[in-house]
Amino acid sequence: MDFVQNFPFFSIILSMLSGIISSVLPGKAAKWVNTAVIFISGVLSWVLLLYLMRKGESYTYMMGHFPAPWGNEIRAGVLEAGTALFFCIIMLLSLFGGRKKLEEEVDSEKHNLYYILMDLMLSSLLALVYTNDLFTAYVFVEINTIAACGLIMIRQNGRTIEAAVRYMIMSLLGSGLLLMGICMLYDLTGHLLMSNIHEQVKALASSGQYRTPLLVTIALMSVGLAIKSALFPFHAWLPDAYGYSTVSSAAVLSSLVSKGYIFLLMKIVYRVIGVTVFDDSRIIDVLFVFGLMGMIFGSLSAIRENDIRRMIAYSSVAQIGYIYMGIGMGTEAGMAASVFHILSHAATKSLLFVAAIGLTDVSKGSRKFIDLTGAAYRNKWAGVAFTVGSLSMVGVPLFSGFISKLLFAQAAVQNSGKMLPALIVLGISTILNAIYFMKTVIRIYTPVDSINNTADTAGDMVYAYKNRRSYTTALICFTILNVILGVSSQPVVDLIGQGLAMFS
Amino acid sequence: MRYIALSILFPIAAGVYLLVRKEPKNRKVLLAMTGVFLLLSAFWAALAICLGGKGMYTLFNLTDRLPILFKIDEVSILFSVLAAVIFLCAGSFSFVYMKHEQKEKRFYGYYLIVMGVFTALCFAGNLITFYLFFELLTLSSFPLVLHNGKKESVMAALKYLFYSLSGAYLSLFGLYFVEKYGNTLTFSAGGVISEQAAAGHGGILLVTAFFMLLGFGVKAGMFPMHSWLSTAHPAAPAPASAVLSAVIVKAGVLALVRVVFYSYGVSFLRGTWVQSAWLVLTLLTIFMGSMLACREPVLKKRLAFSTISQVSYILFGLAVMNGDSIAGGLFHVLCHGFVKAALFLCAGVIIYATGKTRVEELRGIGKEMPFTMCCYTVVSLGLIGIPPMGGFISKWYLAQGALSSGIRVIGWLGPVVLLISALLTAGYLLPISVHGFLPGEDYDYGKLQKKEPPLLMRVPILVLTVLSVAMGLLPGRVLDYLQQLMEKIV
Repeated sequence: MDFVQNFPFFSIILSMLSGIISSVLPGKAAKWVNTAVIFISGVLSWVLLLYLMRKGESYTYMMGHFPAPWGNEIRAGVLEAGTALFFCIIMLLSLFGGRKKLEEEVDSEKHNLYYILMDLMLSSLLALVYTNDLFTAYVFVEINTIAACGLIMIRQNGRTIEAAVRYMIMSLLGSGLLLMGICMLYDLTGHLLMSNIHEQVKALASSGQYRTPLLVTIALMSVGLAIKSALFPFHAWLPDAYGYSTVSSAAVLSSLVSKGYIFLLMKIVYRVIGVTVFDDSRIIDVLFVFGLMGMIFGSLSAIRENDIRRMIAYSSVAQIGYIYMGIGMGTEAGMAASVFHILSHAATKSLLFVAAIGLTDVSKGSRKFIDLTGAAYRNKWAGVAFTVGSLSMVGVPLFSGFISKLLFAQAAVQNSGKMLPALIVLGISTILNAIYFMKTVIRIYTPVDSINNTADTAGDMVYAYKNRRSYTTALICFTILNVILGVSSQPVVDLIGQGLAMFS
Repeated sequence: MRYIALSILFPIAAGVYLLVRKEPKNRKVLLAMTGVFLLLSAFWAALAICLGGKGMYTLFNLTDRLPILFKIDEVSILFSVLAAVIFLCAGSFSFVYMKHEQKEKRFYGYYLIVMGVFTALCFAGNLITFYLFFELLTLSSFPLVLHNGKKESVMAALKYLFYSLSGAYLSLFGLYFVEKYGNTLTFSAGGVISEQAAAGHGGILLVTAFFMLLGFGVKAGMFPMHSWLSTAHPAAPAPASAVLSAVIVKAGVLALVRVVFYSYGVSFLRGTWVQSAWLVLTLLTIFMGSMLACREPVLKKRLAFSTISQVSYILFGLAVMNGDSIAGGLFHVLCHGFVKAALFLCAGVIIYATGKTRVEELRGIGKEMPFTMCCYTVVSLGLIGIPPMGGFISKWYLAQGALSSGIRVIGWLGPVVLLISALLTAGYLLPISVHGFLPGEDYDYGKLQKKEPPLLMRVPILVLTVLSVAMGLLPGRVLDYLQQLMEKIV
């Protein structure tokens, strides 16, 4: 066994440990520990990715040398390592971009708590990505939920507490359904390791036994994870949770947490239930339809919204809809498009959240559109970054969003049954996206009347975000990431294809 | 091959260089640099046309199946020659005109970028490349519209941005289908839709074709999404308006040429409901644009409405889908380009010298600046279509094509609308000359002073006027060239 194969385990345990150590450290030290851990995990995942690409096949890793049916396993392929690397990059940049705001909004004695929660979040995300054991997955889903609630609530005002409670209730409902699904599956197959369950499920499906319980299991797990990742009818918790929490939390929640659950769902589809069994069940069509509805209703809610943060949050509902639409197509191409959209949306949405905070900050902290008029002139970098994010969301070529739309459309035209609804909704949703994002871009670039302008400058506000180096760097890195995904997407798409092939 | 890359990347790089470099202390340095860049860009484009050959040139691959590739064919040459001439003329005009505007450096920077992007659009070899540069054209030209930074022009620019982006999305829809049902995305004369793949899917393909027409038609100011044009074009500084109205709207025309004749193919669209709907839309636009122009009191806005109407002449020719009419339409691309650029430059001279923008203020303007108004009158006659001017020839071909097309009702209604619109064109352009040269008896000749503009402004106007007259007097070469093209695509 190569030493590199330990890396997934190292990165998970390292982030857990750093959470424990941080509990006795002061806020500032905790911050640096957290940054270092994210960075190290990123580097480890990167080395692992290179190793796996050279080796060309995935491997399973026994925890504590207990053999298969009893022991706990980790499994790493190209897709896992790549996703882990990407998650680390996004998390690092989101924290970087929101650092100043965090210091403003959160009591200083709670800073180390925040970084502990971030460490736990990282470890649970990595574990969700790497684990090969359904029960371990469930445990980390719970850790993830608790950490996410903490991240929402750390900025304490009425709205965030309400949002956190809502998130908690919905999320626990989701985990409950997932747990029931896992229990039933254990009951049916007698295993908890993904590969073992997979064999049993195949045997059950071919013999035709337990058809209804199997269907119910698939439904429970899919719906459970759909609730947790805010698929359309279950998204009520989302706008408040993303809209009122501190900016780093919002960026991490929208671009990583929900994606972690979707990644778990993909894992379940490929590695537990099996693609053919999943395709045969009707659940896939349900996911497809919910995805389509999300694409439209999410955008419609975003258009109606008068608060920039909540608008971006609602746009997440639409984008999650895209991902489920891809999964729901039931083809390799659709799945690949979904994985690409996970990456592209993560890169874009966190960029938008971070850029929006710069814009609201120069508008006396108001998030109403009317007050944002001309904000892009007051904070140039945030304006440019927000525009880039919007163009990417809308799908202008050269940015990542265009490639994911292209992949979705290509996947759709290959699937004759679902082609028309998918393409029509894709078209409508693109126009709707254009409406609310271009409306915002137009708003932030509309010059203010000179009278108001002088009143603004007379107040001589402290522009906390103007010319802050860490903030600007984060924005530039996000923008570059977006352009890279948009211009040279082929290696990433190839990697996803390779990873999906290794999955099954 | 490398000339193609140079002709595209050089102007863009030069523009970016101008944008990021420090403001030069001496204005002349900036002008000299811009002038050299413009000439070099035109030179590279000329070299690319002469030496580029018929091969394809792949810049990079967006994805495995979607290369960004360039190819030069007859249509590219037609549009890129027009662009080069007008960019050079308006560029040298702006050296004087922009003196009284702020932020010259930014203007020239974006001006060069737009030039490069438009050249790329002409040379684009497949739909995805075309789409990419179509979006970039919108994004790079909208700073020209908002140049003076007043609230009106910013709002106009944003309106332009919004309309163009939405239009582009509408047409993106069709792109997916062309990729699925076509043999290739690369433009090829006669269309790429493969009959086996498309069998049984004709209905949906027609719908997507119509979406593409509507979507790309936004840029060409086609009804129902024309209203951005009359807001955005007059808001820009005069040289930019000239470029926008004479060249950038032609991007929409080029797009429709590429979609109809090089992607879907004439044989696929002829005789379908898409063709009928398109014809109706163009005729409506022709009539409506002229009517609105007649009622408009501000000169630049009047010219913008005239653009809406005149570009739809071209689209009408394309929509009839018959050799003569398409040739007439493409001929009108050149005619209208030269004429409209000259008209906007004349309007610019008037603003520059007198600051007058409204039509009724222009009484006696011919006495003040006889040279400018002479040119104005000559090119106006060209646009109205009085023989032997260029406009006459294009309208002759358009009408002939429509009459011999055999399309019911539109076949004879089209030429009638063209005639009415020609009368209206005379109605909105000529009164300015008439009142300008013959101000009436109560005109105070005592206050008259010569306000003729400097040489650098007069030369571009003269060049454009001569070109538009030459189009009418010596149309043979161009028409032969177009006829050859017709044999390939119809």
